[in-house]
Amino acid sequence: MACFLRFKKHIMCINSLDPHKQPGLWLRSSDSSDLEAEWSDSVQKYGELFYLELSDSEEESLLPEAPAVNHVRFSENKIIFDEDYLREGRKYEPRLKKFSKILKSRRLLPKRYNKKNSSAPVSILKHQPTQKMGIILQQQYKDVSVFVNPKNATVIKAKEHLKLLEVLLGIIHQSKWRRKAEGANRAKLVVHGLLPGGPAMKSGQVLIGDTLAAVNDVDVTSENIERVLSCIPGPMQVKLTFEIANSGQKETIQPKQKKAQTTGSDLVRLLWGEEVQNLQQNLQSTPHIIMYLTLQLDSETSKEEQEILYHYPTSEASQKLKSVRGIFLTLCDMLENVAGTHVTSSSLSLNEKLVHVAYWKEDDKLLLIGLPAEEVPLPQLRNMIEDVAQILKFMYGSLNSAFCEVENTARLDHFFNLFFQRAIQPEKLYSRTSPQPYDASSSLFVDTLPGVQWLTLPQETQMEIDMALSDLEAADFAELSEDYYDMRRLYTILGCSLFYKGYLVCSHLPKDDLIDIAMYCRHYCLPPLVSEQRIGHLVIWREVFRRHPLRPTSEPDAQVFREPEGRYFLLIVGLKHFLLCVLLEAGGCASKAIGHPGPDCIYVDQAKATLLQLEGVEASLDERLASPSNPCLSSADWFLPSSRDKLESLTSSPLLTKLQHTSRAITSPSSRRRLFSDYSLKTRKLSPSRGSGGSDNGVEGAGEGSGPSPHTTPDPLRKQGAKEAQSPGGAQASGALLKATKKKATLPNPFHLGRLKKDLSEKEMELFDAMKLTSGTENTLFHYVALETVQGIFVTPTHEEVAQLHGSIHPQLIRNFHRCCLSIRTIFQQSLKCEKKKALNVEGNPRSAHAASFLSPVKEHGVLFECSPENWTDQKKPPPVMAYWVVGRLFLEPKPQELYVCFHDSVTEIAIELAFKLSFGLAT
Amino acid sequence: MAEESAAGAVHLLCLAASSGVPLFSRSSRGGAPSRQQLPFSIIGSLNGVHMFGQNLDVTLRSARTEDSAVVWKTFHDSITLIVLSSELGCAELRLERLLELVFGAMVLLVGLEELTKIRNVERLKKDLREALAGFAEEMGSVFASLVAGGRVVVGTEGWWRLGAPEAVLLPWLVGTLPFQAARDYPVYLPHGSPMVPHRLLTLTLLPGLELCVLCGPQPPLSQVEPQVLERWWQPLLEPLRACLALTPRGIPAGFPLHPDILGLLLLHLEQRRGLFTVDLGGEEGPSPSARRRLLRSFYVLVTATHFPPEEKAEEPGCPTGVPRACYVVCGAAAEGPQGRQDPGAGLRLVAVQAGPRRLLLLVSARSPTYALRGLATRTLHALTPLL
Repeated sequence: MACFLRFKKHIMCINSLDPHKQPGLWLRSSDSSDLEAEWSDSVQKYGELFYLELSDSEEESLLPEAPAVNHVRFSENKIIFDEDYLREGRKYEPRLKKFSKILKSRRLLPKRYNKKNSSAPVSILKHQPTQKMGIILQQQYKDVSVFVNPKNATVIKAKEHLKLLEVLLGIIHQSKWRRKAEGANRAKLVVHGLLPGGPAMKSGQVLIGDTLAAVNDVDVTSENIERVLSCIPGPMQVKLTFEIANSGQKETIQPKQKKAQTTGSDLVRLLWGEEVQNLQQNLQSTPHIIMYLTLQLDSETSKEEQEILYHYPTSEASQKLKSVRGIFLTLCDMLENVAGTHVTSSSLSLNEKLVHVAYWKEDDKLLLIGLPAEEVPLPQLRNMIEDVAQILKFMYGSLNSAFCEVENTARLDHFFNLFFQRAIQPEKLYSRTSPQPYDASSSLFVDTLPGVQWLTLPQETQMEIDMALSDLEAADFAELSEDYYDMRRLYTILGCSLFYKGYLVCSHLPKDDLIDIAMYCRHYCLPPLVSEQRIGHLVIWREVFRRHPLRPTSEPDAQVFREPEGRYFLLIVGLKHFLLCVLLEAGGCASKAIGHPGPDCIYVDQAKATLLQLEGVEASLDERLASPSNPCLSSADWFLPSSRDKLESLTSSPLLTKLQHTSRAITSPSSRRRLFSDYSLKTRKLSPSRGSGGSDNGVEGAGEGSGPSPHTTPDPLRKQGAKEAQSPGGAQASGALLKATKKKATLPNPFHLGRLKKDLSEKEMELFDAMKLTSGTENTLFHYVALETVQGIFVTPTHEEVAQLHGSIHPQLIRNFHRCCLSIRTIFQQSLKCEKKKALNVEGNPRSAHAASFLSPVKEHGVLFECSPENWTDQKKPPPVMAYWVVGRLFLEPKPQELYVCFHDSVTEIAIELAFKLSFGLAT
Repeated sequence: MAEESAAGAVHLLCLAASSGVPLFSRSSRGGAPSRQQLPFSIIGSLNGVHMFGQNLDVTLRSARTEDSAVVWKTFHDSITLIVLSSELGCAELRLERLLELVFGAMVLLVGLEELTKIRNVERLKKDLREALAGFAEEMGSVFASLVAGGRVVVGTEGWWRLGAPEAVLLPWLVGTLPFQAARDYPVYLPHGSPMVPHRLLTLTLLPGLELCVLCGPQPPLSQVEPQVLERWWQPLLEPLRACLALTPRGIPAGFPLHPDILGLLLLHLEQRRGLFTVDLGGEEGPSPSARRRLLRSFYVLVTATHFPPEEKAEEPGCPTGVPRACYVVCGAAAEGPQGRQDPGAGLRLVAVQAGPRRLLLLVSARSPTYALRGLATRTLHALTPLL
C-alpha cells in the first residue's frame, strides 16, 4: 500500500497542474509536491466519493438571464458535494461544525461563542421587513454566503503576497484607515473595496462600507481575520455576517435573485444535496411515498410503527398513505395466498385523487412506492419500482443492506428526493437549451427503457474512441505494471463506457453492467447535467454490486478451484461533456480489496487522461450531433395543410383514406367531394416539383410557404408518374385547387426552406433519399425509437435533432408519441411475459391454447392520431388537421427488439415494414 | 389452492357495507359456475382491508397480482361488491363494469330501497339468493356490453331510452328465465325506477322470439295476450320469421362484408346500441368463442388505454390525445397444444372511431396491415345505415 501511496503523489502533482495544456504528459513522476487531489477531502467513510465541480466558463452560460452581480455562489469555481452533508440532512452544517471545531481547537473561538450560538447574528432584517428610514438606526446584520477555495488561493497568495481576506473573499480592507481610538483588537473590518471577480463581488450582496462582523459565526476583527481564514480547510461555503452600513440601501440588497436561477442550477443544487425551495413546494401537496416494510413482525416488542424500516417523505399528503400501510401488508399476504402470485400494485382514491401503489416483495420485506396516477401511469410506476430496486441493489448489494443500515438513511432521503423530483416534475429538472418541454415528456418513456441511448458515429471516430478505451482497459500504464513494483495491481478494469452529452458513444461493458451504470447515472441526473453544462471535474467512486457476479462454472474443475470473491467498484470521471464510467474488479487477478478503499488516484487520473486524450474527438462528436442523422426526419409542421385545405377536409370524414377511394365505388356525392379534397391534398404536396424540379424546388416554393415536401426526390418525372397513378380521377380538379393553394401561404416554414437553400446540393439530396426510411416521394418519418435489448441500447433522434425540427405542433406530436409508446410498450411487456411463461411450461397444456384467444402475444400495435396547432387564434376557421401514426413493433426473433415509429398518415403503410426491417443497423 | 385458482377463476362477493355480513357469493371457473368458494377468512380480509381504508378516508379501488386482479366497489354506502378474477386478460375496467351490472341486476330484482335500507339481513339474503340463482352466474362469466345473450331486434323509442344497466340487463333476464309462453315479472329499473317496481311482460311469439313489454300495474297479462297477439302480430308473421333467421349472424344475409372480416362490434355511443357478431368470414380461423374473447379483450384494451370510455366519448376539446384508429397484430408465437399452427396467429384487430360510432373488427391474417384502416372505414361506412 505504501508503494501505491507514493504513486498517488507522483500523479497528483501532474494532475493539479493544468492538465488541459499537456494532455500527453500524463505519467511523469515529479517528487516534490504536497498538493493533493481536489476531491481527496470529500472521500467518505466507506470510500465513497461524489465530487462535482462545474467548469469556470460555465458560470456565464449557466445564468444567462440573471445580471452578473447576482451570480450566486455555486457559479464559483469549485464546489464539493459530499455525502457528509446528506448524512447530516442539512446543507453545509457539518462543514460549519467541522470548521468551528478546528477553530475551537486552536482557541480562536471566543468563550462566549457557545452561549451566543443560538442568537447568532442572524439577519435581523427578516424580522423587520417594513422598516422605515426614520427609525433609530440599529445595528443591522446580513448574512452572505460565499464560496471560498483556499487551494486556488494559495498559489496567488504566494505570488502576490496578498492577504487572505483579499485572496479568499475578495474583500479589500485598508488597515491604515482604521481609527486608532478603537485599538488594534477592536478594529472593525470595514469593506473598503471589492476585488473584481472575487467571491464577495460575485455574491452581489457585499457593499463597500459594510463591516465584516463574523465568519461562520466566529467574530472577526482585523486582528484575527487572517488566522480565522487560514483555518478554512478546503473549498467550502462560508457564511459571512456583515454589519450593514446604510440601512437605506437595504431594498436594493434584499431581493436575492433566487428566481433568476435557472432550473438547471436547481438540478445542480439538488445534486449537491441542498434543499431547493421552489422544487420542494410542489411536491408537498402531492401524495407520494416510499416505504420499506417488514412482513415479519416481532410480536413481543409491539412498538408503534415497528414494521416501517424506512419511509420518505414526511409531508402531510404522504402521511395518509403511510397510515394505511395495513392495507398493503394485508393485501400482500392475502392475495399471495389466494392467487398464488405476488401482488404487484393497488390503486386507491385519496382526496379525490387516484394514487397507484406498486409493490416489490423480496424475502420477507416489502418495498412500496406510491405516486398519483396523473403524474405516473401504473405501468410506468411498475417499471420505476423495478428500476429503484435494481439501482439500490447495484449500490448496496441488497435492499436489506440499503434500508436497514441506519447511516444510510440520509443518503436514501437524498436518493428518493431525487427520485420523486424526477417522477413528479421532471420538467423542472431538465431544462435543455431549447425551450421545448421535450425532455420532460420523453424522460417518462425513455428513462425506463432497459437500455442506453446510443449515438451512432462515423467509423473513424468510433475507432479512435474504441482504441482510447481499450488502452485504458489494458491498464498497462507505465508504472502500474506488476513487474515494476513486483506486486499485484489493485484493480482489474472489467470494462468502461463513454458518454458524450448523455449519449452513449462507446461501451466495452457487459449489458447488465452497462444498464445498471446508466441507471445510476440517470438517477443522479448526470446525463442532463453533462449535456447542459460543462463539467469542471466530476469524480464518483463507490463500491457496486453486479447483478450476476461470476459464478463457479459447472465444470468439475470448478469444484476444486473456487472463484475468489471479487468486489467491484464503479468509477465515473466527468470532464466537460464527457462521462467515462469504469468498472473495476478487486480480487480475482487483482489484489483483494480490504475494508472500504477510496478512489485510487492512479485509476482516476488514468481515466481523466483518457478523457483528455479524447478531447480531439469532441469536435467530430459535436459535428455528428449537429448534422441531421440517418434516417432523416421531418417536422410535423411541414405536413399541415393550409387552412383552405382544411376547410375541405373538415367536410370530409378524417377517416377516409385514399385506400378507400381506390378500392371502393363512390356511392354518394359527399364522398366524391371527399375524394377530391383528399387528392388535392396529395397533389398539392407534390406540387413544388412541377415547375422547378430537383433540390431548388424549395427555393422556388418559397412563395408557397407551406409547401411541405421536405425531401422530395429530385426526379419530377417520377413524381408526376406517382401522382397520376394515385389520382386517376381527380387530376383536373386538383389542378384547380393547386392554384388556389399557391396563393395562400399561411404557414411559412423558414427553417425548412433555409436549410434547403443553404446546404442541399443536388447530390446531397440524393443522399438524403438514400437515408429515407419511408417509401413514397416524401419523407414522412417524424420520430422513432429502436430498442435493442441484447446489447441494452436504443437509438432515437438526439435532442439536438429534435430541436432542429422546431415547429408549433411537432413538440406536441413528440409528446404524444412518447405517451403512446408507453402504453404500447406495456402491451409488449405483457407479451414478453407471456412468452417467458410459455418457455417455462413448453409442454402443451390446455392453457396455452386458451391464451391464444387473448391478445397476449401482440407483435404490432398502431394508433392513429390527429393533431392541430395549439393556440389557434382564428375563430372563424377551425385549425388545420394533420394525421399521423404511432406504430410499435415487437421482434422476438432473432433477438428481442422493439421499434416505435411515428409517421405521417399519407404514406402507404407498407413503408413501415421497410422501416422495421432496417432497424437502424442495430442488428449487426 | 394456488395451483387450482390459477386456471381462470372468478369470485364475486356481495357484502353489506356497514356490517360486513356476506349476502351472497358466486364463483366460476373457466366460464362455468363453480361450487368452490373462497374461504371465509379470505372474504373477511378482502372486505376488511376495504373497510379499514374507508375509515381513514382512503378508498381502496383495485389491486393486482401478476396474473389476477381484485376490484372493490361500494354502492350507495350500503352494498359492497368485490370481484377477484384470475382470468387471463382481466382488466380493471372490465371488472368494474361487471360490478356495476351486478348491482344493477340486484336492483332490478329486489329494488333499491331494499338494498339501501337493510333491515333484515337474513331476509335480504334469502331474496337475493333466490332471485340471483341463475342470474348472477350468467353474468359472472360474461362481459357486459359485448355479449348480450338475447339481442334486441326492434325496440320502441321508449325502450331505447332505458338507462344503461336495464337496457343491458333486461334482455339477459329474459334469456335466463325458464321457458314460458308468457310471463308477468316484477322488475325494478336500476337507472329509471330503482324504488318502484314495474312489470315486465313477456310473450313468446315464435320459438326463440319473445316480446317484452315494460308496464305499470295495468293491464293484466290475461288481457294483453289475446289483444296483442292477434291484433298486432298475426299479420307480421313473415317478417318475424325473417327476424329469427338473423340470429346468430346479427346482420342480414347477403350484406356485403369483406370476407376477411371474422367478427365485428359496432357501437353507437349516443344511442347506446351495439351490433355484435362473430359468425362471419367462413369456418377457418379461430372458433366463435375464441373470436368473441379476442374482440372482448381488444375492446377492453382500446377502451382502457386509447379511446375514452363511452360516457365521456363525445366531449369536445380533447382532439390531440384521442386516437382516431388503432390496430393490433397478434403474435404468431403461440404454438398449439400438439404443435398445430395456432389459429390466433397473425390475426388483426382494428378499431376506428368516427363521430358517435366506434367499430371494432377482427380480421383474418391474410389481410395486409396497411389495408386495415381502409377496410375498417369502408365497413363502418357500409354499416352506418344499420346503426
